[in-house]
Amino acid sequence: MTQTQVQSSPRMSTPVDAAIELLDISKSIDERAILRSVTATIPSGQFVTILGANGTGKSTLLKILSTLIPPSSGELRLFGQTATATSVDLRRRIALIGHQSMLYRDLSARENLELFAKLYGVANPTARAQQMLNVIGLSARSSDPVRNFSRGMIQRVAIARALVHNPDLLLADEPFAGLDAPSIDALEHLLAQLHEAGKTIVLVNHDIEQSLRIAEHAIVLRGGRVVVDQPTHRLYEREILSEVR
Amino acid sequence: MNAVLTLIAKDLRIEARNRQTLGLVMVLGILIITVLGLGLGTQNNVNGFSATAVLWVAYLFSGVLCFEKTMAVERNDAVLSALLMAPIDRGVIYLAKLLGNLVLILAVAAVVTPAGVLFFGFDLSAAPITFAGVMALSILGFAAIGTLFAAMVSSSRLQGGLLAMMIFPITLPLVLVSTQLMMRTFRDGLPVSAASVGVLVAFDLIFLTVSWLVFEWVLEP
Repeated sequence: MTQTQVQSSPRMSTPVDAAIELLDISKSIDERAILRSVTATIPSGQFVTILGANGTGKSTLLKILSTLIPPSSGELRLFGQTATATSVDLRRRIALIGHQSMLYRDLSARENLELFAKLYGVANPTARAQQMLNVIGLSARSSDPVRNFSRGMIQRVAIARALVHNPDLLLADEPFAGLDAPSIDALEHLLAQLHEAGKTIVLVNHDIEQSLRIAEHAIVLRGGRVVVDQPTHRLYEREILSEVR
Repeated sequence: MNAVLTLIAKDLRIEARNRQTLGLVMVLGILIITVLGLGLGTQNNVNGFSATAVLWVAYLFSGVLCFEKTMAVERNDAVLSALLMAPIDRGVIYLAKLLGNLVLILAVAAVVTPAGVLFFGFDLSAAPITFAGVMALSILGFAAIGTLFAAMVSSSRLQGGLLAMMIFPITLPLVLVSTQLMMRTFRDGLPVSAASVGVLVAFDLIFLTVSWLVFEWVLEP
């Protein structure tokens, strides 16, 4: 990826304002408890990583944060407002990068970006799509269908798609999965830039060392409960490993 | 409205590019007409009542395949999650999907119906506009239900069989009313009454309203 032109959030709050408030959130699926009484507050502009072993509810938590699924009980507040699936205005401020690309494989990179720019009501979607293509360094292949791209290129388009509406909150579910070393470096750099621009970032990641290095705060889940909620500079990889096992 | 048009344009662009849905659905529709033609015998002319029934078989099976294929586009690569996160009412997604499906099914009907006319020697000349109008109203209701249930079933592993099992019984009133109307028109030579058309319109309105209202509850990312 080239040097990005990340826009500072026009709605950026003061650092003490909460971007996310999880108030006693529980989630059960098919009568199996995935999350149990999760309570946490993430201030605006903070870069948080969520860690935990497989099946501890990290991705479920991210889906709840993105308003894709509702909690079974408890309350989610985003930017001071109660968030539900019908919170259309709140969704305008959120973006999700998932395991999968969330792109139409038969559309080109440009068409995907323009489509989502239009759906988010971005002024001049064509110009914004071109701007994002420049950011991810794929202008030369902007007309190729996404299905012809490599995993790394698809991930770059997926990130551009997520950022096309300049969200305040970026939720990333294992965005480094399947990327080669240069792409990982580029993505780390982009996340750092977004953080500097005042965006709130929530990163679910399996690589504990990497997470502790790039994020400023860590939440560790075990058995669907929060067992660690600390700034990363106070944590050691060994400490986290003992919690996630 | 802009979001609806944007999503319909997206669906049609994808279809124009890969031609997977329309091609498959048309082939299936023509195959059904052919099989029925061979089974029933093509020498005897079929009246409008039977014509409607034969065509309904082709529309129903082609429609189910169409609904599945168009919803699969949203399921691939979890793109539905991105769509659900967009700041648009989920009813907008339903309307766009419905209109996209309607365009495809009407395109199939535009090919399958003349094929049936040629194959079976249907004589629709007595009331071609009535035939087209009644079938279009019926297909609208069918598409309304099909779009809703395809979204519901798409998160299940059963898919194909389950979708047909759910849609066919619910569509039955539309099939019965339209075949009865065609029987009155082509066999008995009676004009289509406003009350009968009103029944079809009522079914359409109920199916459309209920589907639009519940769509957001059946969508799972």
